[in-house]
Amino acid sequence: MLEKSRKVLQVSGLHVKVKTEQGMLSLIEDIHFDIERGRVLGLVGESGSGKTITCNSLLQLLDPKHTTVEGSIQLNGRELNGLKAEDMRQIRGKEISFIMQNPMNAFTPVYTIGVPFIETIRTHTALTKKQAAELAVTAMEAMNLPDPAKLLKLYPFQLSGGMLQRVMIAICMCLRPAVVIADEPTTALDVVNQLQVLRELDRLRVEHGTSILLISHDLGVISELADEVAVMQHGRIVEKADVFQLFDHPQHPYTKKLLNVRPKLPDHLSGYFENRG
Amino acid sequence: MLLQVKEVTHTYGETRLQWRSSKRAPVLSGVSLALEEGECLGLLGTSGAGKSTLGKVILGLEKPQAGQIVFQGHDLYQSDRATRRSLRRDLQVVFQDCYSSVNPRATAEQIIGEPLENYERLSVQEQKRTIGGLLERVGLKPDDMLKYPNQFSGGQLQRINIARAIALKPKLIVLDESVSSLDMVNQTHILSLLSELRADFGLSYVFITHDIKAAYSISDKLAVMEHGQVVEMCDDKDQVFASTHQAVKKLLAAMLPEHPRYRSRSLGSI
Repeated sequence: MLEKSRKVLQVSGLHVKVKTEQGMLSLIEDIHFDIERGRVLGLVGESGSGKTITCNSLLQLLDPKHTTVEGSIQLNGRELNGLKAEDMRQIRGKEISFIMQNPMNAFTPVYTIGVPFIETIRTHTALTKKQAAELAVTAMEAMNLPDPAKLLKLYPFQLSGGMLQRVMIAICMCLRPAVVIADEPTTALDVVNQLQVLRELDRLRVEHGTSILLISHDLGVISELADEVAVMQHGRIVEKADVFQLFDHPQHPYTKKLLNVRPKLPDHLSGYFENRG
Repeated sequence: MLLQVKEVTHTYGETRLQWRSSKRAPVLSGVSLALEEGECLGLLGTSGAGKSTLGKVILGLEKPQAGQIVFQGHDLYQSDRATRRSLRRDLQVVFQDCYSSVNPRATAEQIIGEPLENYERLSVQEQKRTIGGLLERVGLKPDDMLKYPNQFSGGQLQRINIARAIALKPKLIVLDESVSSLDMVNQTHILSLLSELRADFGLSYVFITHDIKAAYSISDKLAVMEHGQVVEMCDDKDQVFASTHQAVKKLLAAMLPEHPRYRSRSLGSI
């Protein structure tokens, strides 16, 4: 029983189809995975393999006019698939948070950072504006953002991509969601910001026990953060394994291919990672 | 010597707003570089280090406030119109965002044909044949020339951008984060395509990126920039791993591990 309750998100038999002129077209088929509390599941694959469709279908963000979502998505035992739009809105943000690839597009450019931040907090809690602002400042301090009170009054274009992404994580943190879906959270960032954002995500999970679904095409990101990895190809999960297992003993030919195409340091420098502090 | 960048200093917004006392920090200050024919220089740095501005200055798109760009023996900003026009032919660029660097309403044929129309007077048939050949050279089919940008994937569209860049057989191509927005598989394919083209056409590259591994795999020399200055110049790219400069160390430390056993964080679990 205890074993069962640790599983925060359970996805089984997920199947997404889209209406086209030629009939129904399958985008993803037969997706099964579950994430335990405080664990990170990495979802890897090329562009077009169905990673983003998977996470959009988890959040019920796909347009029901054009797509059908079959299968079961259970969050702490509650079925999300087919939930009314009104109920789903309560869950998004509060129980499942979403971190998008491009932080520049995720914020409305005409409002200061504080507006969506405080709005998100107040939608899901009974806090006053002032309390929400205080909570926002504390959360941003925890994300190592300098001078948070001032940041709330800045516009998105005044912040760097890395800072915006950390503000995004701070918003997630305030509501203590059970699951965070991070869709390519660092792809638009440079390497130094990338590492910082990954560390903050790691903190989120260690301090709050949040489970993370980490979507990336970069195996470096996966090897830094993930506990388990699912490899997607053509809308199916072709291999799922523990991160060490996957890197040491890849089973599926496609996984082997992905591992081989990574740009590597030459042999005489491969000891570099072992020696660094 | 194909390209010499001599003591280039540049600040944005100063030329137009001279009446205003400017307190802006320079984007580039005293940058000097040199590139031989056939060489590839990897330009590394975090966002805001001035890499892209330097790329624009080299291309002749952003006139620096001080300093010189000498390309094939001519000063890029001081030469007369005709010389500048012929120099520009040998300078091409491939940007990061492949979708915004093409006209969405133009077919691949029109996109690749534009530089040809500007510089080479080919007959309709000849131009079609050249474009078909270029598409094949970058790994696409000649039939693809009738397609529009939205019918291509990111990797394919980046190949079209490369085809456009090599259409005039230039001497130098500035690759400004050209592979950064592609997935790993496409990145590797594009990097090896670039290496092949360089060998075939004797091209030189300035490869701008924040990804050390990508830069290392394609370049001969590496330069690391910070706050508008070149802080480390490695004529032998292996030297970068021995660098003692803190900007370089920061970039190296942020490199993601090749295997989970080298992950940098302490494995906190619950």
